[in-house]
Amino acid sequence: MARMKFISDAERCIECNGCVTACKNEHEIPWGVNRRRVVTIDDGIPGERSISVACMHCSDAPCIAVCPVDTIYKTTEGIVLHDKDLCIGCGYCFYACPFGAPQFPQDGAFGLRGKMDKCTFCAGGPEADGSEAEFKKYGRNRISEGKLPACAEMCSTKALLGGDGDVIADIYRNRVVFRGKGSEVWGWGTAYGKPEKQQPQQQPAAQGAKS
Amino acid sequence: MRTSHGSFVWRLFLLLALLAPGLAAAAPQPFVPPSSPESAREQAQRQQAQPYNNAPMWRDVRSEREHQTQVRGIETGVLVQSGGETWRELRNGPVSLIGGLLLVAIAAIILLFHVMHGSIKVTSPPAGKMIQRFNDWERWVHWSVAITFCILAISGLIILFGKNVLLPIIGHTLFSWLAILSKNLHNFVGPLFIFSALVMFVTYVKDNLWKSYDFRWFKNMGGMLGGEHIPSGKFNAGEKVWFWLGLFVLTIIVAVTGLILDFPNFEQGRAIMQQANVVHAIAAILYMALSLGHIYMGTIGVEGAYDSMRTNGQVDEAWAKEHHGYWYEDVKADRTGQKAAAGVAGAGQVPQAGR
Amino acid sequence: MTAAALVPLGLVAGCGEKPVTVYKAGKYQGKADSQPWDNERFKGDRNAWEKAIKDRSVAQNEYARVAHSK
Repeated sequence: MARMKFISDAERCIECNGCVTACKNEHEIPWGVNRRRVVTIDDGIPGERSISVACMHCSDAPCIAVCPVDTIYKTTEGIVLHDKDLCIGCGYCFYACPFGAPQFPQDGAFGLRGKMDKCTFCAGGPEADGSEAEFKKYGRNRISEGKLPACAEMCSTKALLGGDGDVIADIYRNRVVFRGKGSEVWGWGTAYGKPEKQQPQQQPAAQGAKS
Repeated sequence: MRTSHGSFVWRLFLLLALLAPGLAAAAPQPFVPPSSPESAREQAQRQQAQPYNNAPMWRDVRSEREHQTQVRGIETGVLVQSGGETWRELRNGPVSLIGGLLLVAIAAIILLFHVMHGSIKVTSPPAGKMIQRFNDWERWVHWSVAITFCILAISGLIILFGKNVLLPIIGHTLFSWLAILSKNLHNFVGPLFIFSALVMFVTYVKDNLWKSYDFRWFKNMGGMLGGEHIPSGKFNAGEKVWFWLGLFVLTIIVAVTGLILDFPNFEQGRAIMQQANVVHAIAAILYMALSLGHIYMGTIGVEGAYDSMRTNGQVDEAWAKEHHGYWYEDVKADRTGQKAAAGVAGAGQVPQAGR
Repeated sequence: MTAAALVPLGLVAGCGEKPVTVYKAGKYQGKADSQPWDNERFKGDRNAWEKAIKDRSVAQNEYARVAHSK
């Protein structure tokens, strides 16, 4: 059974925001709501990296745990969906989510937020697949058409992968192996700090070797 | 022509002068603006030492710092905010577990107390003469606070416990409808409650200042634990605790945290809302637990107490003498500015609603 | 009296966190949500749907399409 997942490859993402645009276009998302966003860390500095983030479809989703009306649910494919008819717009899922995935059309006074909206992995909602009602509330249901999320399929550099976790993890693993920096990238020194940090006398020598 | 030619040479010179430091600085060390954080410098260096190793960047991701993004909104630049997990653990764990146990336990203790002791009776026969205890304004203010409090308490309980208590019984659709009603009532009645409580504080504070005789009241909890009634002013020490701990301290806590949660339009971040929600829930549960005691004492717990908040706000002189001895003396000596009610009701007769 | 003791117990049972909802096939919490293969395109053929998704997933690997030298 497929377990749907997203992977964003930080080495490949070029911050084109194509995934954001694809998502907005595919689902005709209203102004102010962004199911997906691209965040750039260390922008403008050598070594900057961009990551595309949306709902990560957690296994133990905090939003499901805190929702006071139990509106968020998980499908057999591990996709976290929600029912907008039940949503009360309390914003608890927004407090709980580490990725800032749940979005609200309003941020009004007296907590008037409207119904929560978030990435559906292009799997719509509880309404009949591909129906008008489903499209209006949740956007297109590509999963029921045998397609993957628009953002991942549109990604020009294939930085964003979506689909069965096993398959896309394989693709990513291949990439990392092909980049061929395995033992240099990861290892004891990276995970637990370099030995020179524990031995201050050797620090100048180590720095000189680096530059 | 000459001038433009001269300016061209000048510009070329300027360009070279500007480029020269840049060319000279094409050393292996990457240029990182001095204002950038330490992690950025580390990341830039790491890219040269160990290409593809983004560990400094990933550490920065967990720092909950705002990064660069094209998407506008609250905290959109924060990639991972871990506070939500702590909030979830607290809210779904100790806050709802201990809080729920506390409320049920307090209710059970009050029930048990009432079954064992019954209500506190007025020992002397009714005097028949009525004293004005609370005037129209005081009663209006009290009931404004009381009714808004009850709406907030019930709607709040539905939001915190309804998922596990009511939802399995009434189903998703009906419960969602109830929760939408609760949420909106809670959000709109909240500010009304804050205003009412403020007015109530101003109205009632002069009679709730601590007096030396109040401390003697605690010895046997004003006669609740047996023994004699300790005379007290217009409010006894128990009521003063409720006033200062409930109406003053807890109202401030629930009001401040509640307003943070109620007005997300001021673009406050998630961290403050998570903290506010936990504090709000704890304070509100304590407030409700205290209110159970107050509601019990004001209605069936003490015979005759409810008359003071009923339609005409009058109490029997015998009740006043027994429960609020000093206040009774003050009224008799006309030191409170309150006049004794003119009407003389028949002995044992319930005070009439009309004036 | 036993009823009076049971009511608080029942209320206490509502405290704390319950395990995140487990998905029951084709349904969740009383409201139906059809499976992605229950539609005109796949006509309930789960294997066909899974194959379609897998093909798409695999197609994201451009190493499989682009010749490269290693």
